[in-house]
Amino acid sequence: MRTLPLLALVAAAAALSLGVGVRPLSPGNVWQALTAFDATDADHVTLLALRLPRLAAGLVAGAALGIAGTMMQALTRNPLADPGLLGVNAGAACAIVAGGLMLGLRDEGAMAALAFPGAALASVAVFALGGGLRGDAGPVRLTLAGAALNALLLSVVSAILLIRQETLDVFRFWVAGSLTQAAERPLAGMALVVAAAGGLALAVAPAVEALSLGAALARGLGVRPGRVQAAALAVVALATGAAVTVAGPIAFLGLMVPPLARRLAGHALRAELLVSAAMGAAILLLADTAGRVLIAPAEVRAGVMTALIGGPVFILIARRIRPGAMA
Amino acid sequence: MPRSSSRASLCRRSFLASAAASVLAAPALRAHQGGLRFTHAYGETVLPAPARRVVSLGYTGQDMLLALGLAPIAVRYWYGDHPFGVWPWAQPYLGDARPVLITGEVSLERVADLAPDLILAAGSGISRAEYEVLSRIAPVLMHDPRHSPYGTPWDVETRIVGRAIGRENLAEERIAGVHAAFAAARARHPDWAGRTAVAAYQDGGQTGAFAGEDTRARFLAALGFRPPEALGRLPLISGFYAQLSPEDLSPIDADLLIWISSLARAPDIAGLAMRRTLRAFAQGRELFVDELIAGALSFGSVLSLPFALKALEADIATALDGRPWTPVAPSVAAGIAP
Repeated sequence: MRTLPLLALVAAAAALSLGVGVRPLSPGNVWQALTAFDATDADHVTLLALRLPRLAAGLVAGAALGIAGTMMQALTRNPLADPGLLGVNAGAACAIVAGGLMLGLRDEGAMAALAFPGAALASVAVFALGGGLRGDAGPVRLTLAGAALNALLLSVVSAILLIRQETLDVFRFWVAGSLTQAAERPLAGMALVVAAAGGLALAVAPAVEALSLGAALARGLGVRPGRVQAAALAVVALATGAAVTVAGPIAFLGLMVPPLARRLAGHALRAELLVSAAMGAAILLLADTAGRVLIAPAEVRAGVMTALIGGPVFILIARRIRPGAMA
Repeated sequence: MPRSSSRASLCRRSFLASAAASVLAAPALRAHQGGLRFTHAYGETVLPAPARRVVSLGYTGQDMLLALGLAPIAVRYWYGDHPFGVWPWAQPYLGDARPVLITGEVSLERVADLAPDLILAAGSGISRAEYEVLSRIAPVLMHDPRHSPYGTPWDVETRIVGRAIGRENLAEERIAGVHAAFAAARARHPDWAGRTAVAAYQDGGQTGAFAGEDTRARFLAALGFRPPEALGRLPLISGFYAQLSPEDLSPIDADLLIWISSLARAPDIAGLAMRRTLRAFAQGRELFVDELIAGALSFGSVLSLPFALKALEADIATALDGRPWTPVAPSVAAGIAP
């Protein structure tokens, strides 16, 4: 594992995220903002109230999606598995929009709490539909089940929009994620959730690897498949729920990151998880920064940017899967 | 009776349309019949006689019809929780009418079932294809060809509706009344002329400003204000609003900054850190506009504009009194005052 270049990548992405935007900031501005913050100075506000929360949100959501994507791909042995494509993001977003509206919630914390049951239900549903419980979650079946679930859940979100026109602003955020509202999101709480999910992921990683040898062989090695699957799905639901809470649904990140991480980390799931977390954070930050300057002064949402990059990656991976292969 | 007679005319119309010769034969026939001619964005429409059963598909059409004393048989739901989609400024004109509320996408079958003799679709955003199908049900009026789909000025639109329902004199009377109200306000506040003003919004993490053909921008222009120059340099979306970078809100730093919002969303504005860097904030020249008055400005109709003017005139004067310490009541109530 090449740790140094990886850390350098994350540091560079973080520096760009703080330094690049519509408003040019000099290192002097940055120093002043940190030492003598003035709420009426636009440069200071840009740095501390806008870019710093975006940086934090990008780190949290990016790492979470890297972990969730890697765990999903390891559990299902499907290189197309991604919390965005398989409807887990949509499950969290749908729970937030539907629950938030029906219960009349405006509190961000209470809305965020809905993300987790939404993500958990969606991940169990897609895993069960895709045949994962019987241990035959083949790439095609699982991807189809995920695409169907994703479409269904996003239609529910759209239907809510059509009935309640005033929800348009809520809808925009929950359909394509962005880091613009980072300052209003429970960043510290979600960072803890992602840390817990990451810890759980590292703990079950050997058992998930054993499971990939087949349920019978895994049992022989002392692994209880049901428990391992439940723990792995909990990792996916926790990490995805936290990512959606912080940044809305970000598609394709959990798809792109694991294959890249595998190249760096080799086929050792624990190392792959760590590399994925770092790379997920770096790519999301770069996507957000690029979206900030691409059509300035307007912004392209980070969720749209990752979809733009991730679409071709999806096609590339899908073309490499051979029929009947478990990848 | 009106129902069956319009059914008959529906058959005649669909025959004409399906004859596919409508391009050639229909104008000749219409010219022969005379009637009321309207040129609009999707072509020309001829009404055989002033309309009585009007389905209003534009999001604000109900206001114009009600102002001219004709209740629509159906109203298009835009937003808000008001009976029949008729907001408070227009309720007194509704009487005991019970218009059908059309929500979401327009169901063509539903419209046909109402057997209208006019479909008022200016400001509805329907496509040319939908227009063509609707035209088989009844004559359809679209927006003025010189403007964007939602950009026809209220007086132009009111005049068109007045002609279509045979109440042109009443329409002129109403329009003159509103123009007089704005002229009187300008006369009371000569200091407003030439100062900058902007109507802004904060939705879903995005800050934006209304400009160009927007009703809220026109309201401010009608009071003598002009838009800030920096706003004019931003690209307009759909001809009526501009989006701002969260890092640079200076295009809305006008002499008067109006927030088009609702009390439920006031915390989003209060929490907008970059707003505190604006001079309009520091000098108390911001005015928060809650849901009802924001609705009146957004409808921008012959009925809603005088309603909004009456509600806002004193607060605008307070915001612009040159004394930053005088509290602007709605901004204080919403918790966004400095």
